[in-house]
Amino acid sequence: MITCRNLTRRFGEFTAVDGLSFHVEPGAICAFLGPNGAGKSTTVKMLTGLLAPTAGEVEVCGLDPRSKPIELKRRIGVLPEDLGLFDDLTVEEHLELTASVYGVDKRQAKDRIAQLLRVLSLEHGRRTFASACSHGMRKKTSFAMALLPNPSVLFLDEPFEAIDPVTSKTMRDLLQSAARHGITVFLTSHILPVAEEIATQLIMLRKGRIVWNSPASELPQALEQHYFDLVESPVVEEMEWLGQPRS
Amino acid sequence: MARTAAILSALARALRRDQKSIASVVGNNFFVVTVLLLQEAGAFLYLILGLILLFPLSTDPLRKIPASRLSLWPLERRERWMLRAASPWVNPMTWLIAGGAVWVARGKVTAGLWGLCGGLIAACFVLSALPIAPRGGLWRRMPHFPGPLNHLIRKNLRGMLSTLDFYLALLLSVAALAYRASGRNLPAEALLPMTLLVVVALSSYAQCLFGLDGESGLERYRLLPVSGWQVLLAKDAAFLTLAVFLVLPLEPLAGFGAALVALAVGHYATVSHQREQVRWRFSAGAPLVEGLAQCALIAMAGSLVSHSVWVIGACVAAWAGSVWWYGRRWDGEAVS
Repeated sequence: MITCRNLTRRFGEFTAVDGLSFHVEPGAICAFLGPNGAGKSTTVKMLTGLLAPTAGEVEVCGLDPRSKPIELKRRIGVLPEDLGLFDDLTVEEHLELTASVYGVDKRQAKDRIAQLLRVLSLEHGRRTFASACSHGMRKKTSFAMALLPNPSVLFLDEPFEAIDPVTSKTMRDLLQSAARHGITVFLTSHILPVAEEIATQLIMLRKGRIVWNSPASELPQALEQHYFDLVESPVVEEMEWLGQPRS
Repeated sequence: MARTAAILSALARALRRDQKSIASVVGNNFFVVTVLLLQEAGAFLYLILGLILLFPLSTDPLRKIPASRLSLWPLERRERWMLRAASPWVNPMTWLIAGGAVWVARGKVTAGLWGLCGGLIAACFVLSALPIAPRGGLWRRMPHFPGPLNHLIRKNLRGMLSTLDFYLALLLSVAALAYRASGRNLPAEALLPMTLLVVVALSSYAQCLFGLDGESGLERYRLLPVSGWQVLLAKDAAFLTLAVFLVLPLEPLAGFGAALVALAVGHYATVSHQREQVRWRFSAGAPLVEGLAQCALIAMAGSLVSHSVWVIGACVAAWAGSVWWYGRRWDGEAVS
């Protein structure tokens, strides 16, 4: 469903993504992990057609994002890094906009919007403008927009950050259900326990390069430890000045 | 004092990095045209126009600091006021315009008037720090439009209604309407210039149609399965709706033609530069030359339509061609 071959993106002298090659099967939940600046969001942008690769090939749903951008966008749902919301639209209007632009039948759209608002606990804030929403509400709105058109592939950039525990659980269940129905989920996250719980494939990135790519079942040890070993180990250093009287 | 100086120094550094070239010296068409038309009107008018120009030109440097961060810093009330008063002066444009105003008005403006202008500026900068978000009833009662672009057009209407350009054009339109409603006939030769002034007042916004969408909005546009021409069409539909509404008491057809041309010319700057705008300010459009070219073409289109209705066809063709061409450019630039 998602295939990359030697995918590379440079910004001037800096290589953000360096020759990535991987494949994600239909119905898989692929967790794309790595520290800040590893190239995760840049990769998602290239997969969703928001950014052109400097080199390499991308195929999503059998389509090249560069040559068939509109066809591809009709088949994918995206929760982008900065959420992609308009300040001048309410939560409900964002969903109505998505339904009409993706050509969802009016009756279906009404039912889906009502269900998404209910399940994601957005009902009380449906008439709130995005500019007045909390970060969590904005993220849930963007997540609902990604699900609403019933896409073949979901790209979610850090979906669980800034989300309350109940909604996080709801979202995990929704994603697992979607995957069971054949929808491919490609998500980035820093919350390793969540990734470990739902992912069926794990890809770890370090300085723009893949350092691990396997089914989740083939992980040799706990994800967190494996991540620390392969990607980045935490810096443990005592800061003795903390708690000292201020001069 | 040291804390205020450190913040001002950081602001000045951020502002220096933001002013990339001479192209950042941009203005608002209405004020530029008014200055050109009112050369004999005197220093006071220049002064006021210059000072009003300051706002769209310079924007408030203090906005570069997120409000939440600013309120968390351990600053005393006195330091906050100092920051408020001093921050506009880290922008070189403020010095340039204030210097120009002093030079133009030397010896001709009384201390009282200077005080009035100073007060106006201070009020505007204090107001600009207030969090004004569209939440009221008016914003919810936007008309609905047929087709899948309905909510995009409604959103764009809300955006336009949060710029001062619209209210300036509204003021001109209402003034003309009130004059006519009073039973007096507006001279025929005044109708067209008034119509053109209304369109010119809106025209800077036509050069920065994505200015209020922010990075997040631009990303959503690029994710939606719609072509560039549809994105521009949604922008233009909102602009034309308001423009036609405002020129109704004047010369509607000439105003419509002029608005089409304003958009046709403005698409270049809209797609190429994507200048970020601030709500409740005048729009800061393209550099001076582009702005003047746009105004000249608006005047030409309006005059020609006023003389021959058939010219409206050429205006529509120019606009449609521009939507198609710059829509393709938008598509191309979406993936770069």
